[in-house]
Amino acid sequence: MACSTNALWAGETTWFCCGAAWGPCGSAGGGACGNCRSSAYHGAWPNASQACWDITRPDLCGEGGIARRGCGSVMNVRHQCSGATVCISIADCGPRTKSFCGEALCCGGTCRTNRVLDLTPAAFSAIGSLSSGMLPVVITE
Amino acid sequence: MSGTADAGKQPGHSSRFGRRGFLTSAAVGGATIVGASALGALDADAAFAAPSRSLDPAVTQTTFVEGRIGAIRGSMLHVAGSLGETHRIQVTNATSLWKVRTTTLDAVEVGDGLYARGVEMPDGSIAADAVWVNIVNLYTTIQGIQKDRLHLAHHNRELVAHTVPETAASYAGSALTPDLSRLRIGQPAQVLGAWRPADDSIDVVRVTVGH
Amino acid sequence: MFTTSAMSAVSASSPLGLLASVLPVPTAGLLAATGAGKLFGRRLRARAARTALPRLTGGNQRATLVLRVTGGAELLLAVALLAAPGRVLPGVGTALLGLGFLVYLGLARRVAPESSCGCTANDTAPITWHSFARAAAVVLGGAAAVAGGRPWWEAAGQDPVPAAAVAVAWAALLAHLSAGPGPGWRIPLRRLRLRLFGNPLGGREQPVPVAASVELLERSLAWETAAPLIRSGLVEHWDEDGWRILHYSGARHDRACACDRRVSVLFAMDAEAHLDHTLGQVIRVSVVDEETGEVLTPEAVPEPRRRLPLAG
Repeated sequence: MACSTNALWAGETTWFCCGAAWGPCGSAGGGACGNCRSSAYHGAWPNASQACWDITRPDLCGEGGIARRGCGSVMNVRHQCSGATVCISIADCGPRTKSFCGEALCCGGTCRTNRVLDLTPAAFSAIGSLSSGMLPVVITE
Repeated sequence: MSGTADAGKQPGHSSRFGRRGFLTSAAVGGATIVGASALGALDADAAFAAPSRSLDPAVTQTTFVEGRIGAIRGSMLHVAGSLGETHRIQVTNATSLWKVRTTTLDAVEVGDGLYARGVEMPDGSIAADAVWVNIVNLYTTIQGIQKDRLHLAHHNRELVAHTVPETAASYAGSALTPDLSRLRIGQPAQVLGAWRPADDSIDVVRVTVGH
Repeated sequence: MFTTSAMSAVSASSPLGLLASVLPVPTAGLLAATGAGKLFGRRLRARAARTALPRLTGGNQRATLVLRVTGGAELLLAVALLAAPGRVLPGVGTALLGLGFLVYLGLARRVAPESSCGCTANDTAPITWHSFARAAAVVLGGAAAVAGGRPWWEAAGQDPVPAAAVAVAWAALLAHLSAGPGPGWRIPLRRLRLRLFGNPLGGREQPVPVAASVELLERSLAWETAAPLIRSGLVEHWDEDGWRILHYSGARHDRACACDRRVSVLFAMDAEAHLDHTLGQVIRVSVVDEETGEVLTPEAVPEPRRRLPLAG
C-alpha cells in the first residue's frame, strides 16, 4: 500500500525514538507494534488500537474523530509550512495528545492544533529539523 | 556581536568575522518578507488543497543515519548504528551541527550518539546536511524542580535534567521563554534536550507543558 | 465461623502477639486504598489496558471487570480486618488474596514483561520486585490476622506506643512498596518545599532565546518561501545592530551547469521578536552563492505559493 492524497487529518507532530537506541531512548523498545525503529520512516498514531486510544485520549482535546489506523498503516505527512513530505508507516501508539490540549502551530494563514502524530527521527528529519521539536502537518493516506 | 563560534570551519578568527560582516550585510539587504502568518486563522480543509510534492513512499532524496560515534578522524565521523551497521559521516562547512546548541565539530566527542541526515556519496560515506548530537525528545512527568535541574520521570525511571543558559519553556502553546518559573511538579512535559553519556543525565533545551 | 481465640498460636502480650494484632490494620488501609481505586477510579479501562490482564483474561472488558471485582474484594476484606479482628476468615481471605497477587504477578511478568502491575489506583510502572514484596506483605498481614490474639483496639489501648510504632512502620513500608521504584514519597515533600520557598527557577532574565527566533522564522512566509532551497539545520547565528542573523546552507539548481550549487540562505529578523511579540514579523531573506560570493536574491528565492508582499 502506497501513500496517497486522501485527506486523513491535520495537526501537530512531534518526534520520539524507538527500537535499539542510545541514551534515554534505549528504554523505549519496539513500541506498541514491536517493530518500531528510530532509523525507519515510522510513526505513532493516537488511535492505533482501543488500548492506545485509552492512553492518548485525543477526544479530550476535541480530536475525537481521529480514525483507527493500526500497525502498518501508511500515511503521507506534509509539513504545512514548507510543503516537504515523507511517507511513513504506523509502528507505535502516540503521542499523548491529552497532555497538551489546545497548542497551535500556525503558518501560511492556517493553524494546526493538538498533537496527533509522533514521528521517528528519520521521518521527522526528512521534513524538518529535530531541534525544532514540533511541526504543523497535513496527513493524507 | 554575539553568537555561536564557527572556528572549526573557517580559516581564522578575523576572516570569520569578516565573512560574518559580509553575510550580515547580505542578510539585512535581502528581500523583506512581511506576513503575519503565525497569527493565521483555523482552517481545517484548506491545506489539503495545497500542492504537494512526491508521494512515492520509499523514495527520499536524503539518507538518515543513527548511532554512536566510535571515532572522529578529521571531519569524518565513524558511527556504529544501534542495529550493528557502520557509517562514515562527512561533516563539511555546510553541515549544521547541533549539540545542546548550534555548534562545531570541536564539541563532538567519541561516545556521543547522533542522528544525521545527508546525501550518500559514491564512496559510501554520507555528506551530512545536518547532524544532531545526543538529541532526545522525551515525554516525561516533572517530579522535582531545583535551582539548576529538573527531576523527570521517563519510562518509569528518574532522569536528571540540567538547565543550561539556552533552556526555554513553552506554556500551553505560548512562545518559547527563558522563564521556567511556571513549571509545576506533576505536569506532563515534553523535553527536548541533549543526553550526557558520562552520567546518563540530559541538558534541557526546551520544556513544553500543557495547561 | 472459627475465632482466633481458639487457634491463636502466639501469646497476646508477646512481641509476635503485638505484631499479629497490629499488622492487619495498615494492611486493611492498603487494601481499602487500592480497592477503592479499582472500584471507583476513573479511566479504569485505560489502567486495565496497561496491565497484563487483557492478555490473561482474553480482552480489555474482562480485564476491567476483573479489576473491579478485585477492588470490591479488597474493600470487603479491609472492612472485615478492621471490624472483626477475632475472626479467621478475613485473615485467610487476605492471605489468599496476597497469594493470588503473587501468582498474577508471576504470570504477568512472563506474558507481558512491560505491562504495569495494576495494583494501585494510578500505577503505570512495570512490575518490579516492589510489586512482589507488597503482595507478600499482604500475605503476611493476612497471616497475622489469622494468628492474632487481641483485637487491635485492645493492643492499642494496652501498649499504645509499641502498637503505634509497629503500625506506622508497617504503613510506611507498604507506602514505600506501593510507590514503586520512583521517587514516590519524595514528591509531596518537593511540592511542599516549592510552596514554602517558591520556584527556584524564577528570575532568569535572558534575551529572547535563539530557539524562539527559529520558532517564529519557521512559521513565517520567509521560511515557506526559502524552504525549498534549505538543506541543513541552523548552521550558525549571531546578533548585530538589533538584528538576529540565522544562517542555513542549501543548494540551488543551476541550469547552466545542470548541477546543484551550494548556497547560504540567510535570514535577518528583529532580535527581540518571537511568536508572542512578532514586531510586524518583518524577516529579510538572502541567498548567497557559496563559491562565488554572489548575492543571488531575489532571483534564487523561488516563486511563493501565494502572492507575497515583497519589498526592499
